[in-house]
Amino acid sequence: MRTRSATRLTIFAVILLTALYGWGQETQSSEDQRLNLEAHVGKMTGQARVGQPIYKRFCIGCHGPLGDGQGENAQWIDPKPRNFTTATFRCRSTPTGTLPTDQDLYDTIGRGLVNSNMPHWLPLTNHDRVNLVAYVKHFSPRWLKEKSGTPIEIPKEPEPTADRIKVGQTLYQKLECWKCHGVEGRGNGPSADTLTDDENRPIRPFNFHDSEKFKCGTADWQMYKDFMTGLDGSPMPSFVDNVKPDEAWDLVFYLRTLQPMNSKEKQIAKQLGLKPIAGAAQPPANNPQ
Amino acid sequence: MTIRYKITAAFSALVLFALGALVLSTNVSAAGEGKITGTVKFTGTPPHERPIDMSKEPYCQKLHASNPVKTENVVVGPDGSLEWVVLYISEGLSGSAASAVSSEKPKWDQKGCQYIPHVMALDANQHFLVTNSDPTSHNIHPLPKAGGGNNQWNKSQPPGAPPIDTSWPGEEVAIQVKCNIHPWMHGYMAVVKGPNAVTDEKGAYTISGVPPGSYTVTAWQETLGTQTQKVTVAAGKPATADFTFKGK
Amino acid sequence: MRLRFAVASSRKRALLSGFLLSTFTLFFFLVASSTESGAIPAFARKYGLPCSACHEAWPMLNVFGQTFKDNGYQLMNDRDSPIWQNPSYWPATFRITPHWHRESVNTVSVDTPAGANAGLSRISSNGFDLTGLDFHTGGTLYQNISFYVLPSSDATGAFHFETVMARIDNIAKSSWLNLKLGKYELDNIISEKRILTISNNGGVYHLYHFIPPGDSNIWGQMGDNQLGMELMGHSVNDRTRYSVSLLSSNDGTVGLPNRNAYSGFVTASQAFDAGYQGGVDRIGAYYFGGVAPTTAIMSGGAPILGVGNKGFNREGVFGLLYVKKLDFQIFYQHGSDSAFFGTSTPSNAPLPAGARSPIWNGVFVETHYVWNPQLLFIQRSEFIRMSQQAMAGTDPRLGDVDAFTFGYRWYPIMFSRAGFAWHNEYSVIRQHGTAPTGGNLASSSLMAGFDFDF
Repeated sequence: MRTRSATRLTIFAVILLTALYGWGQETQSSEDQRLNLEAHVGKMTGQARVGQPIYKRFCIGCHGPLGDGQGENAQWIDPKPRNFTTATFRCRSTPTGTLPTDQDLYDTIGRGLVNSNMPHWLPLTNHDRVNLVAYVKHFSPRWLKEKSGTPIEIPKEPEPTADRIKVGQTLYQKLECWKCHGVEGRGNGPSADTLTDDENRPIRPFNFHDSEKFKCGTADWQMYKDFMTGLDGSPMPSFVDNVKPDEAWDLVFYLRTLQPMNSKEKQIAKQLGLKPIAGAAQPPANNPQ
Repeated sequence: MTIRYKITAAFSALVLFALGALVLSTNVSAAGEGKITGTVKFTGTPPHERPIDMSKEPYCQKLHASNPVKTENVVVGPDGSLEWVVLYISEGLSGSAASAVSSEKPKWDQKGCQYIPHVMALDANQHFLVTNSDPTSHNIHPLPKAGGGNNQWNKSQPPGAPPIDTSWPGEEVAIQVKCNIHPWMHGYMAVVKGPNAVTDEKGAYTISGVPPGSYTVTAWQETLGTQTQKVTVAAGKPATADFTFKGK
Repeated sequence: MRLRFAVASSRKRALLSGFLLSTFTLFFFLVASSTESGAIPAFARKYGLPCSACHEAWPMLNVFGQTFKDNGYQLMNDRDSPIWQNPSYWPATFRITPHWHRESVNTVSVDTPAGANAGLSRISSNGFDLTGLDFHTGGTLYQNISFYVLPSSDATGAFHFETVMARIDNIAKSSWLNLKLGKYELDNIISEKRILTISNNGGVYHLYHFIPPGDSNIWGQMGDNQLGMELMGHSVNDRTRYSVSLLSSNDGTVGLPNRNAYSGFVTASQAFDAGYQGGVDRIGAYYFGGVAPTTAIMSGGAPILGVGNKGFNREGVFGLLYVKKLDFQIFYQHGSDSAFFGTSTPSNAPLPAGARSPIWNGVFVETHYVWNPQLLFIQRSEFIRMSQQAMAGTDPRLGDVDAFTFGYRWYPIMFSRAGFAWHNEYSVIRQHGTAPTGGNLASSSLMAGFDFDF
């Protein structure tokens, strides 16, 4: 009796171990596959495997060992660190719902994210940063199955003019940017208080009077890109389907007039005596159907 | 070590293949136009559905001034019928019945600051249209679960904008859809394999296009969860599957 | 931070500079027992970064940490101002190192007990010990206004101010202009305050404190924190950096009647990205020089004013080189003191016949093998050679130093709330001709202990 149960136990153990071994192999191989991911920026090629120790040295405290944004310090940080496992990124040059390009991620690491705890990592070498991009990608299996989206076209920037700024302001009213960002662009629109991100955490709309920088860069073309592609994961939608490139530039110029620093646009607005928009003062009269 | 793994893998593949062939051979010949019908009921005290305060969108507030819209988490009719329940075949489908994608293009309308319909069932890769009938902007922000084959996106749809024609590549019951500008707006898109249905205001549903065979039907409700039932569909004779969800 | 106890430090001074004849001796000893700068879990706590983000291995900085420091303890991420912190956040940290050590000196004059052991003897001692406590507070007072205050104690708990400074950062929004005033570490990229070796012998870069035997210039030690004012600047990614300091020539001694003597410290460096296998390599140069008093006006037996200023200078080049997990820190110095210092002659007295400026050259190479951020092996070799003695007749090799240090540091934890290392190190130093017999004086340190801050 005793020997029989021992034998049975042994057989069971062998089966269990074999199964575990095979399973381990399998998960390892998918991890292996992801660790073979590369990132390409310019002439540089980053490798996830090389990025791993760099990530562990610099990034792990906030983004966590699993890349899920649950680092040991995440609980103290607001806004929360990005969760890489969903591969949902705010700063993209690609359409909403698609993966960003390697260059997008590389630029984010080098730029940092304004109004957050994320600093710029320019002190690291370019190669370190491109290796980090590859390792950040490895956290989501999406990068194995999907290609990065095709970057939206950004036409050449026109000269800001009084007319363009006026059109931009009309668009700000018409596209209802003010619903969240407020009639003066102070981030206090009627919907501002109820906004949540994709993980249901409260989030504030951008206050244009607050900062010279934007989340995804300071240049006009980056601002253009922000609302054309949307900031995925946040309430900020993509407008590329409904805003013509020329109109988008007009909106950029208008938004510049709201910012604290002196700019050409701001001077034009001063000359025009531009007043804030009316917002909801005149609810649309027409009733569909 | 990899050799052992390969052998294990090859063996399991063989077993799967054999099983698959067995299942296929039983069902593939049995083409036909069967149906599964039924009603979904709710027993107990239904949760209180509160009227929605749309004062932040004056147009929509005015529109519903005489008859305020209520939340739609559990919509129960006077006779206990349960609306907005998704029904789909979770087991037993095979071959073309499983892989067929409906060519119908349902409409997901934003009207009066509500999603019409509140719940929609779709095949994976079935196209649908998102439209905006309101004179106000909406942003349509579906939030699929991460890693499930569908990716979230977020698009603005100003008044008069053309419909958004899109589809979901992965099965998922169900994808929540939000409008961040109007936080009360929410709905669900259930992406399934094969024939499906959503209960109407009488709690009734009909899943059509089901070949004869034995199936497991799953009913999903956004707050009450899922229930399953086994049914057998014979040629020319609709099967019936009624469900009852209990309140707390 | 260095492990320097009152006793140990006096022994070191004896090793390095012989007996100090200056009337400032008393004041000198007041500042001698110093422990210094290092890691600030306060910063890690503030930003949520693990120690390893800023430290190659705590307390030595990496390029990211150096940039953070050069920005005035700011990440430049709009969350630097203290208003972003929880009001209960206090930017403070303590560092101390309980340890066991063994110290051995080959030739010591011994007078008791009389008998067989009297005369000259090798003395070895060992036992458990403590370092002093460093109490760091630092950070931002506001965006672009930084401060650092470091009261530091000796092993008995007697405190002094090791560092006290405030800094206006990014003047006119330019990273090239930052102004600092107070008592601070000279802008040494290879920082002795962040040295990874901490034993009695190994805890210093001897070149940062070298004084030839018989020389009385204790004012020109670039390893000691100095009182002064610094203008520094750097590129945004910190590849290019410079600093210029105007310093009182009092070796950082607070309250010293030192008026009328100033010195300057100038350094600049340029770094390069070394590709896939490398890190951020850097080369740079420095100059430290000026005038310092050779004697003092006395009143009631106490010095009240340093006078008789004479010149001194230290200059050289340095480099940081990264190759995979290895990195090298290379430092070269050419040093010279006025003949008055070299012969310990007050400037109002005649120089001995044939007196010249003492001149020396020195180099050290420190190697780190960073297995991972939690385990690091260290080696350092240091050589100092006299090239001209103050007196022609002196043994040309008198005062030459050879020093070797080996060790490792293991950090069982790596997170953002505290630093903790197991430290084990052996260090040996030999100086030519400074033993009481006229032979070589050699001493060794072996230490092991817990180095932690919280």
